[in-house]
Amino acid sequence: MAMAALRREGRRFAPLISPHPMAAIRSSIVPAEEQAPLGVRSISTQIVRNRMKSVKNIQKITKAMKMVAASKLRAIQAKAENSRGLWQPFTALLGDTPSVQVKKDVIVTISSDKGLCGGINSTSVKISKALNKLNSGPDKETKYVILGEKAKAQLIRDSKKDIVLVLTELQKNPLNYTQVSVLADDILKNVEFDALRIIFNKFQSVVAFLPTVSTVLSPEIVEREAESGGKLGELDSYEIEGGETKSEILQNLAEFQFSCVLFNAVLENACSEQGARMSAMDSSSRNAGEMLDRLTLTYNRTRQASITTELIEIISGASALEG
Amino acid sequence: MASNAAVPFWRAAGMTYITYSNICANLVRNCLKEPYKTEAISRERVHFAVSKWTDGKPETPTIRTDTPDV
Repeated sequence: MAMAALRREGRRFAPLISPHPMAAIRSSIVPAEEQAPLGVRSISTQIVRNRMKSVKNIQKITKAMKMVAASKLRAIQAKAENSRGLWQPFTALLGDTPSVQVKKDVIVTISSDKGLCGGINSTSVKISKALNKLNSGPDKETKYVILGEKAKAQLIRDSKKDIVLVLTELQKNPLNYTQVSVLADDILKNVEFDALRIIFNKFQSVVAFLPTVSTVLSPEIVEREAESGGKLGELDSYEIEGGETKSEILQNLAEFQFSCVLFNAVLENACSEQGARMSAMDSSSRNAGEMLDRLTLTYNRTRQASITTELIEIISGASALEG
Repeated sequence: MASNAAVPFWRAAGMTYITYSNICANLVRNCLKEPYKTEAISRERVHFAVSKWTDGKPETPTIRTDTPDV
C-alpha cells in the first residue's frame, strides 16, 4: 500500500524534474523576444476589417441622409419659388434700401436648427456680423433677432449682449404662412426697430446659395425717406382710397411686408439648407467610398503578403527536408 | 363703417395688421366645405419656441403652438 502511494508520487514528480528537456538549450540559442505569442504568425488584419465595416456604415448613413434631403428639397423648393411672388410687389412699391442709415437697426439672422448642411449657417452669421459693423456708430444700436439654433450658437460667442430674441423649432411642422406670420408678429411686438435687416441664404440652385439682405423699414422711416426724395420719392404719387390716413396705411403695409418678406426668407433658407445638406452628404458618401477603396487595397495587400510568406515557409521547409 | 373710424377697431384692441389678417384668413378657411376645410386648417399649423434675451442671458423659452398634445 505504501509502495503504491510512493510510486504514484514518483509519477507526479517526474515531469517536474525535466519539464522541457530541449527548452533550456533552445533559449540559449534564440533570443527570447523573437518568440511571438502562440498562434500569431502574421500581421493581424482585424483592425483594418473593423475600420472598413465602420466606414461602410457611415457611408450608408450619409447616403440615406442625402436621399432624405433630396426628397425634402423637392417639396420645399416649389413652396419657396411660389413665395417669391409675395415680396416682389412690396419691393416694387416700397423699394429695397439696404443702404438706409437709421438709429435702431435690428438684424434678423435666419439659420437652420440642424447641422450637417455645409456652410450656409456660418455664411449668414458672417454677413450679420459684417452688417453690424457696417451700421455701427455713435448713438446707434444694433440688435440681433435669431431664428434657428445654429446661428444662436455662433453669435452667443461674441455678441451675447446684442441678442434680443431667439426663435427656434420652426420646422417641426411643414413651414406655412400662418406660422411665419405669428412669428413675425412676435418679433414686431417685442423689438423696437427703425429698420429690420433680414439675412438669409437665397436658393439659386442645389449648389449655389446667395447670402441676401432684405430691408424692411418702419413706417416713420418710410415717410422720412419718401419726403427726402430718393428711391421712395414716388410713393406720394399713389392715391389712397378709403378713410384711412397715409400713416395708418404705411404701418399696415410695413407690418404685412415684414411678414411676407420673412415668410419668403424662411422658405428660401430652408430650401438652401436642404440643398446644402444634399451636396454635403453627397460629397461625404463619395469620400467614404474613396476611403473604403484605399482600405480594401491595404487589406488585400496585407492578406496576400501573409499568404505569400506562409507559402514560402512551407516550400522552403519542404525543400530543406528533401535536400 | 369701421374702416372710417380714426383708428381701426383691431388696432385699438392692440392687434397688429398681421394678427388681424390671420384672423380674417382663419375665418375664410372655416368657410370652406368639408374635405377642403380640414386640409386647409391642418396645413396651417403653428409651432415654435421663443426666448427673450436680456443683458446677454436667455430667459426660459416659451413654446407657441396650436397643437395642444405636443
